[in-house]
Amino acid sequence: MRNLSKLTRSRLFIGAGFTALLGALAIGQAVLDKSAAAQAQAQGTVMAPRFEIDPLWPKPLPNHWVLGSAIGVWVDADDHIWIIHRSSATLANNEKPLEMGTGECCAGAPPVLEFDQAGNLLRRWGGPGQGYEWPDSNHGIFIDHKGNVWIGGNGPNDSHVLKFTKDGKFLMQSGKKGARRRAGAAAGGNEGDVAGFVGGSNDEVSFGRIAKIFVDAQANEAYLSDGYLNKRVAVIDADTGKLKRYWGAYGNKPDDTPLAAYVPGAPPAQQFRNPVHCSDLSVDRLLYVCDRVGNRLQVFTPEGKFVKEAFYDTNTRNAGSVWDIAFSKDPQQRYMYIADGVNEKVKVVDRQTMEVLTQFGDGGRQPGQFYGVHSIATDRAGNVYTTETYEGKRVQRFVNRGMARVARSQGVVWPTAR
Amino acid sequence: MCMIAALRRFALLLAGLVLLTVPVAAHDLPRDVTVQAFVKPEGQTLNVLIRVPLKAIMDVEFPRREQDFVDLTRVDQSLRDAATIWLSGNIDIYEGDTLLPPPRIVSTRMSLESDQSFRAYDTALAHLAGTPLPADTALFWEQGILDVHFEYPIQSDRSYFSVHAAWDRLALTVITALQFLPPGGVVRAYELEGDAGLVRLDPRWHQAAARFVVMGFYHILEGTDHLLFLLCLIIPFRRVRPLILIVTAFTVAHSITLIAAAYHYAPAALWFQPLIETLIATSVFYMALENIVIAQPARRWLITFVFGLIHGFGFSFILEHTLQFSGSHLLSSLLAFNVGVELGQLLVLAILVPFLNILFRYVVAERIGTILLSAIVAHTAWHWMTERFEVLQQFPVPEITAAGLASGLRWLLLLVAIAAAAWLLFVLSQRWTKPASRESSPAE
Repeated sequence: MRNLSKLTRSRLFIGAGFTALLGALAIGQAVLDKSAAAQAQAQGTVMAPRFEIDPLWPKPLPNHWVLGSAIGVWVDADDHIWIIHRSSATLANNEKPLEMGTGECCAGAPPVLEFDQAGNLLRRWGGPGQGYEWPDSNHGIFIDHKGNVWIGGNGPNDSHVLKFTKDGKFLMQSGKKGARRRAGAAAGGNEGDVAGFVGGSNDEVSFGRIAKIFVDAQANEAYLSDGYLNKRVAVIDADTGKLKRYWGAYGNKPDDTPLAAYVPGAPPAQQFRNPVHCSDLSVDRLLYVCDRVGNRLQVFTPEGKFVKEAFYDTNTRNAGSVWDIAFSKDPQQRYMYIADGVNEKVKVVDRQTMEVLTQFGDGGRQPGQFYGVHSIATDRAGNVYTTETYEGKRVQRFVNRGMARVARSQGVVWPTAR
Repeated sequence: MCMIAALRRFALLLAGLVLLTVPVAAHDLPRDVTVQAFVKPEGQTLNVLIRVPLKAIMDVEFPRREQDFVDLTRVDQSLRDAATIWLSGNIDIYEGDTLLPPPRIVSTRMSLESDQSFRAYDTALAHLAGTPLPADTALFWEQGILDVHFEYPIQSDRSYFSVHAAWDRLALTVITALQFLPPGGVVRAYELEGDAGLVRLDPRWHQAAARFVVMGFYHILEGTDHLLFLLCLIIPFRRVRPLILIVTAFTVAHSITLIAAAYHYAPAALWFQPLIETLIATSVFYMALENIVIAQPARRWLITFVFGLIHGFGFSFILEHTLQFSGSHLLSSLLAFNVGVELGQLLVLAILVPFLNILFRYVVAERIGTILLSAIVAHTAWHWMTERFEVLQQFPVPEITAAGLASGLRWLLLLVAIAAAAWLLFVLSQRWTKPASRESSPAE
């Protein structure tokens, strides 16, 4: 060492310093990588699609229009978002002075609305017309593989389903309005009201307050969630509207005998409760049926053979926890999203295990909160759309931020960037 | 001639006004339409598959049956007419510089909007060769989709192809999602808006490079913040030798981060862009301040290098969406962009240096002039800095997690490795340039 010049020695020190620093950094990084994995485990987080509310979608409606209770949403092949809402029928007088002629704002928007991805309102139509019976209380919207728009209804007299073109040209009605009315009963009644009406879950022609429609492109069949008065899934030919088959819970023959009220912990009912609120077919051809008040999702083959069921938030009473489902947009549809309008959450569920991975949302009127989150759909990018009934009266978009480690319960998914 | 042209223009204007006032009967120009296209050269044939929604096709009558459903037994001629008038009639395809003749229609299909076959070339081709929709399909005519398979004769599938798709009249907004599949299994995707002009599907490296040189050149000339940074750099250094060192340091540094970003080494988080924009403003502010405080700043090349790293990320943001045009020449295109930036800088220097020299010689004393100019720049930069910081502040501070720290350490590791390599080079270069005797002289 003594032979080395001062310069060489200092260089040796610097070289050794660099080597030591590089080594220390490499070790530090490896240790941190390990503890990162451990940290994630310990926090009880889970890998799942992560969402953020998009508070700027959609854009304000034109013409001082406002939404009524919004009870259906679907995304078409162009990635346009279609909603249906109950407009003036669910607006208080002080919400619609323009319509009443008592002020400048506001008026109910037409019931069927189409939005593009930028949130612009495109087509708008709906209401009574020639050749068909518009529902008393429209409910559920679906755009089929031919670009046709399907609409159900859960008003007292609604026992039919309608099909239109995207421009609102009437194409088909299946079922007759008023078919469920008891002979000699007075007109009127409210949503879910059975006074004066009787279920007809074995009727081959008409239905009982249809909540939602799903059209299977492969078989050209429409699955009707039937409904608020009937207790069945009904399958019709999508062109002729003719009934092809139907079934109740567990694939049983449906029975309209009124059920005792839902009690947490009691054995599950052998029939669906009202309403049967969704019936969506997955890519592997499994039909997921929402027994909303029964707090369960039942899975069937397209022929109606019972496969399995799963229960969610079983302490929920009154309106139930399983309102609507939507599948994730990956080719396997690995996840499904359940709208829960009582607990005001969207549950992210592993479709295979049917277990809840995480949930987001909370009650309230701010962006990302819910008041009666009723319907749910996904677009091509995997974003989620929800509509809210009651006084919620809005459509919201939750942007898919990709797979991420998220908490089991995320609360309001406020945007991380404005 | 001039008179005739003016008359024609007037007539067109009049026709346009009339069209605007007369309600269009059945079929409005759609708001937005996506055209999907595949272009695949195979042997002496160029296969072009195109899908377009029928709602975008005007003035072609489609035979209908009850309820305005398409009569699929009689629709074939209408599909061929639509394919010729609206699609092949408005697309020019070049092999090298030769315009290809009008194509042959191999097949047309009417499809449902839910059909997924155009996700890939092979499924689209199979769909176009497969069985058509059953004749009794109840399909409302405007809700159908037109699929066409065109064939163009070509000399070789190895030729260079370019496309000019003028489909902008199909809708108010037309997006063409085009995939080019040259031999060898690569798929190159382009997303063109409206009439995007001539697009080279497989640009040669110099074509790709030329495009990026121009882009880089204009970018630096349009980037006021980069220009002010440059101005601050050179106010105290207006001679060639120090300038070369400083400009080289800046160029090398921004090339490193620009290339790193293009290869996805930069953080993808949303806060990253505002952070870089704020830091760029800070760099200008700092440089201006240094000019005011220190007359002849030492080692300016070093600080220039550090700030150059930041400016490189800034350049990467504008390149994000245009890299698809580089074809397979990503690296050469990036370097070309840097060359363009360099040329732009040299142009600015060629103007600024003599200007400053004249200014300091005839108008204001050098030191005072330096301080005044720098103060003006500092003022502007200060405003940028606060404005951009406000944007940055809207992002929550990222949580410090082990995963975040680990990725930070990876960057640090890389930087230390670069520093070590640079130091080693420095030591070795000194060994080579200095006489061996001094190093090896034994201490006797």
